[in-house]
Amino acid sequence: MAETKRKSRDNPNGKKSKKQKTLATQRDNKRKRRGPRLPSKFRKELDRLNPSGAGRSPSGSDAEERIDSDEGEVYAGNDVYEYEEGVTEEESKKNRRFDQVENLEYEMPEDFEDENVSSDDENEDDNAGEDSSGEEEHGDGRHSRMLQEITGMPGEAFEGKKKKNNNVITEAYPESEYNPSRDVLDGHGQISIEDLLDPLHGTSGYSMLRKRVHQMERKSGPTPTPLPKVERKRLDRKAAYQHSNKDALKWVPLIKRNREAGTIIFDNDVDLGFSTVGAIASEFEPRTEFEKKMASLVYDEKVMDAHKKDGARLLELNEVSVEDERDRQNRIAKMRSLLFRHEMKAKHIKKIKSKTFHRLLKKDRLKAASSENQIDPEAAKELARKHEFERAKERITLRHKSGSKWAKRIKERGLKAQDEGTRAAIAEQQHQHSLLTRKMNSMNDTSSSEESSDGDESDGYSSGEQDRTSRLLEEAKEKTLKVINEEDEVPNSGLLSLPFMVRGMKKRDEAAAEEAKLALEDFESLSKQLDGSSRGENTKVGPSSGRMVFNAAGTQAQKSSKTKSDDRTKADRFYDDSDGENDIEAEDNNDDEDICFHKHEVSFFSPCGSQSFDDIAKDPGPKTTDEVAIFASGAWKKVKAENNRVKGGNNNADKKKSPVALESVSKNEDLQVFHSFTYLLISGTLVKETEKDLGEDSDSDSEGQMVDGILSSGPKASYELPSQAELIHQAFAADNVEDDFEKHKQEILNEENPEPEKPVLLPGWGQWTHVQQKKGLPSWMVKEHDTAKKKREEALKKRKDAQLKHVIISEKLDKRAEKLYTKTLPFPYTSKEVFEQSIRMPIGPEFNPATAVGALNRPEVMKKPGQIIKPIEFEEVDPHKKTEQLKHVGQKQKQKQKQKPKQKQKKNKIVVWRRGCSGRVSVRRVGGNGWSALGLVGRHLGWSVGVREDRSAFWGRSVGVGVEMVGRHWGWSVGVREGRVRVLEGQSAFGMVSRCS
Amino acid sequence: MEEISEEIDIKVKKYLRGEGANLEVLQDKKLKGQLAVREELYGKSAKAAAKAEKWLMPSEGGYLEAEGIEKTWRIRQEAISREVDISSSRNQFDITLPDLGPYTMDFTSSGRYMTFGGRKGHLGIVDMKNMDLIKEIQVRETVRDVVFLHNELFFAAAQKNYPYIYNRDGTELHCLKEHGAVLRLQFLKNHFLLASINKSGQLHYQDVTMGQMVGNHRTGLGRTDVMRVNPFNGVVALGHSLGTVSMWKPTSSAPLLKVLCHRGPISALAFHPNGHLMATAGKEKKIKIWDLRKLDYELQNIPGHANTLDFSQKGLLACGTRSSVQILGDLSGAQNYSRYMNHSMVKGYQIGKVVFRPYEDVLAIGHSMGWSSILIPGSGEPNFDSWVANPFETSKQRREKEVRSLLDKLPPETIMLDPTKIGTVRPAKKKEKPTKQEREAEMEAAIEDAKDIDFKRKTKGRNKPSKRVKKMQETVAKAKRPFLEQNMEEEELLARKKQKTSEVVELPVSLQRFAKKKTLT
Repeated sequence: MAETKRKSRDNPNGKKSKKQKTLATQRDNKRKRRGPRLPSKFRKELDRLNPSGAGRSPSGSDAEERIDSDEGEVYAGNDVYEYEEGVTEEESKKNRRFDQVENLEYEMPEDFEDENVSSDDENEDDNAGEDSSGEEEHGDGRHSRMLQEITGMPGEAFEGKKKKNNNVITEAYPESEYNPSRDVLDGHGQISIEDLLDPLHGTSGYSMLRKRVHQMERKSGPTPTPLPKVERKRLDRKAAYQHSNKDALKWVPLIKRNREAGTIIFDNDVDLGFSTVGAIASEFEPRTEFEKKMASLVYDEKVMDAHKKDGARLLELNEVSVEDERDRQNRIAKMRSLLFRHEMKAKHIKKIKSKTFHRLLKKDRLKAASSENQIDPEAAKELARKHEFERAKERITLRHKSGSKWAKRIKERGLKAQDEGTRAAIAEQQHQHSLLTRKMNSMNDTSSSEESSDGDESDGYSSGEQDRTSRLLEEAKEKTLKVINEEDEVPNSGLLSLPFMVRGMKKRDEAAAEEAKLALEDFESLSKQLDGSSRGENTKVGPSSGRMVFNAAGTQAQKSSKTKSDDRTKADRFYDDSDGENDIEAEDNNDDEDICFHKHEVSFFSPCGSQSFDDIAKDPGPKTTDEVAIFASGAWKKVKAENNRVKGGNNNADKKKSPVALESVSKNEDLQVFHSFTYLLISGTLVKETEKDLGEDSDSDSEGQMVDGILSSGPKASYELPSQAELIHQAFAADNVEDDFEKHKQEILNEENPEPEKPVLLPGWGQWTHVQQKKGLPSWMVKEHDTAKKKREEALKKRKDAQLKHVIISEKLDKRAEKLYTKTLPFPYTSKEVFEQSIRMPIGPEFNPATAVGALNRPEVMKKPGQIIKPIEFEEVDPHKKTEQLKHVGQKQKQKQKQKPKQKQKKNKIVVWRRGCSGRVSVRRVGGNGWSALGLVGRHLGWSVGVREDRSAFWGRSVGVGVEMVGRHWGWSVGVREGRVRVLEGQSAFGMVSRCS
Repeated sequence: MEEISEEIDIKVKKYLRGEGANLEVLQDKKLKGQLAVREELYGKSAKAAAKAEKWLMPSEGGYLEAEGIEKTWRIRQEAISREVDISSSRNQFDITLPDLGPYTMDFTSSGRYMTFGGRKGHLGIVDMKNMDLIKEIQVRETVRDVVFLHNELFFAAAQKNYPYIYNRDGTELHCLKEHGAVLRLQFLKNHFLLASINKSGQLHYQDVTMGQMVGNHRTGLGRTDVMRVNPFNGVVALGHSLGTVSMWKPTSSAPLLKVLCHRGPISALAFHPNGHLMATAGKEKKIKIWDLRKLDYELQNIPGHANTLDFSQKGLLACGTRSSVQILGDLSGAQNYSRYMNHSMVKGYQIGKVVFRPYEDVLAIGHSMGWSSILIPGSGEPNFDSWVANPFETSKQRREKEVRSLLDKLPPETIMLDPTKIGTVRPAKKKEKPTKQEREAEMEAAIEDAKDIDFKRKTKGRNKPSKRVKKMQETVAKAKRPFLEQNMEEEELLARKKQKTSEVVELPVSLQRFAKKKTLT
């Protein structure tokens, strides 16, 4: 570069500079012009003197200088002249820069001029003159002063003139802003801003301009040099960062809020408008004719006024003409009659049941009847009677015996010709017939059937050949008896009623009777023989007091009560209460019975005595002996007494039944009454046995009491004997329970943390030398033992029950319960305490009011499927405001604004209370104008409460859990508004008067 | 106004269920913010609940209050009956049933129904609202205890040989033969478990929904008929003859807790409904009250004897002995139980059981001549929660509740001393030995690491492949060694143990007969 500079200096003519020359080259030229090239020695000296300049100056290497100049960054540190001129070092750099730039522009033509002159000397001179510009200026100043003095004209004019004159000759181009004149370029005769401003004096805006100029002048110091690019860029970046930071920071509160929000809701801001029917209705505006008419009627001022004040005025307004009322009544009457008829019809139709229904009904009825007759003897009897009747009817009418037209026709055509249904129907009919005509044996209570069943039962009991023969005998006996009985009946009309016929028959009867008697006697003897042998066997069978007796008595008793049931308790109850009365009855009864009774008594004491006909018939012989035995044992009275006592409690209840039973008993013969006694005897013993069983059954510790309770009928003993087990329990309770407990605790501790084994060497190892004993155990062993011991002690100390002397807390971990714990601390948590505190509150609906449950359980993000999630929109958020739970992301702001006019509407909405605090609360919206009811079901009664839009409250009884409103004007009660509890003054159903807010 | 706000503040505290976490400790700002929001929500919820309670539960329980020199325990039942309303005075009655022995009874959780069992087999259910005998049966067997299952439809009776479950109509539904001859029965409502202790001291838990036997533990502490369930956590407590009280849960065969409460045998036991107080009575004529959270010594030691104890919903303690009942009350609120009321029955009546009727100020006394019911003001909770127990429940509600409670049934393992710990971080195991797999994995990892080591390239001659391989093998072996050593040690330990056990068992043939004899004796 330097060389080129030199070159350009050497032949400046060749270098016709163009106006478009770059600034840099101009500056180069200027520098070249300014400073002669100093020898390197001088330069170094200068560098030494001016290190700051030297540091920057490319004093050594030409290459670096070139780079500098290429970049256009020229430093004048190497410009020696500046320094010499005595410009302050600090300013030098900046100063020169901007001045140079300005000057260069103006000096260019000067350069140009020089070239035009093309004299090296002049150039040099010029340079020198410029270099010693201070002096020159000084000289100029004097000259101009002199001129001023002479001419009295301002110096500038001369200066300019002088310059101009200098230039006039050489000016090649007309002066313009592109070609400034030389003195302009030189800085002499400058046109200051004041000069420019002066002509404007007086015009509008002048003062303002002046002011601005002043300001500029005041500020206008030397403009600093631009910073290096790196630094500038850094500064730029910094500024940009700050800017963008500010821009980004405005999002922070928004983002913070979203991050901290429990739930973010993405929703379309769908404006659903009013939420209540009342609200919608209130917005209604009449449009059509009709609507307008209605509105004018409804919102009539008079009516409204009346509404507001009281109901009396309303009545006046509500006048109805007589005709209208009549019409209305007629209409209603008509409607009512129609309704009534329709109802009747419906009822009728409802009553008609299908065939299947009836069939099923019948089936059910039958079933019920059959089950009933199994239980109730009366019902059974009734049923039997009914069956009998039906049988008779069937036998008379033969309704089911294929005598009908239909059946006959089918018969004619032949069964085979019929289809299956018909055949089945026929079969069914026949079956019905057979069913109906079947004899009802079981239900009959005739003596013959009784006997036969008696025989049957004895059948059941007896076994083996003997029994069979005895049965045969009995049958034979029965038949003969039957014959006798039957022949007793004499027809009292017809041929047979003629006297001779009667006589003949009597004779024949007598003969037959004798024969029969003989036969009977034979049978009797035979049966006795058999009985004698069989009794021996039978005694083995039952441990109870004589099996025959039991059987006979049992069966008889059952017969007499006419029940098939063998319920023991029932039977014994029955006889229990009947016995006393029967005694009396038996005595009161007629002679025959008395005689009979005596007969039996005789038979008691003479088992082999004379046998009356009845005796033989009923075969009481074998039992009597046993009964006597019981009498003799004296157990009778005791048993009876016991029975009385034990069953005393039941007597009352059973008395209702007893009349029926008595009836049946009185129908029977005395013999049966007696049998009942015998049964009583037996049942008495039985009862005793069962009670004993009970006594034995009850566990050992209460045995004493139990026996006591049965035997002593008086009040309970006040002192309860401790049972055996209890006594033992107490006796063996150790005195030193505490020691025992401690021992036990030690055991458990040892079990859970076993004690370390004592270190032992192999037996005999090293013992003979006594070395071992002297040295003791090897140190490592002792150490191991000690550490183990320490470990154990630590473990014991860590136990929860370490400090509790009388407590053992199990340290065993329950594997099954382990799954109830969290394995590790969940992610965002770092401390266990915080986590545990955060889960301390249950969030379920059972533990929280309904208003809070939703908020507590909301998912993190709520959005509907298909919802487009828009990018986040900026929105002013107060960072210090407490965050709300809900964050609606979207055009929330707008929504809010939209909702503003509706707020009044919202205010009066009742918020549903929590369910199940002490009752149930339900809210029901009723009327069209925002009526709401809030029901509370209290402890005893429910009441409902509501709040109207104008804050007035009403109350009513609720029915069950639902809410029912009764009145609107009377009473007050509790209401809830916007989730806040508010008691409205007044009186509730319970007379609660309270006022607060 | 201020009063109300104070009142509400107290209730809010109750509903907050403890202090919130200290968020200042947290580093994580996001979590902090979220937790703060949560806490705020909790606060709101608690406040709402408190307010709801304020207005929805207006009834407050009261106590007898004496004026001047009057003493509450001098006030007799007759005096009370003169003062109370008709419906309450209907709750004073004696039912005399002299024949069928001492009676025991149980109430449903709503207090509406009572089942009773006479020693001599008299069972029945009574609707206490209208004093209607719903069903009465005679089982002709000793009945030792009766207990309602989850609702009034079913009840269990401990009879002579087995417990049975009956329905309301007296139909026998189940015979629980596995339980044996049971002395006491208890039903765990939330877990649907029927707990029983039998004559041989075995504790059984049976799930009444599935019929599965959930737990069967030998207590090993002898026969006892003192058993109560802690209503707070479902832990069953047994009182033993050596003065200890043991607490059990179905899933562990060892007792959770054993406390030496008395020097004599324990005669009765009861739990406060909040689950923290326990009252025990010993045969050495002492009644003690314990705080279960702080068991080092009893809260109170009251002289007196009790055959039976029961806490009311409001915390009154009834003690029954012979023919008198004493009610103790914590009137000062400082867990200091003092005499509150007395009631003596006809001389000679032996009180077998006292039970407070829930949601009523009534104490039912089962004794040898039937049962009685007396008024104890302030014993029952005045406000019922129809979601918990509704005395006015309709059948439909009952059905719904049954379904709901079945859905909410808790598994048996949730029974533990402190159920609030459920969901928290698992307590660290005592000394968790790594399992075999874990140890193997660890070793593998160590070997891998050792293999990954890059060796220095040595100078020529020393960098032979054979040498490199050797070096590699050496490092691997080095990495392996500690693990192998550990394994060896363990094996050795095992072997030693085995040896010990085998030493005991295996004797020389010639000596074996002696050993046998020894074991026999």
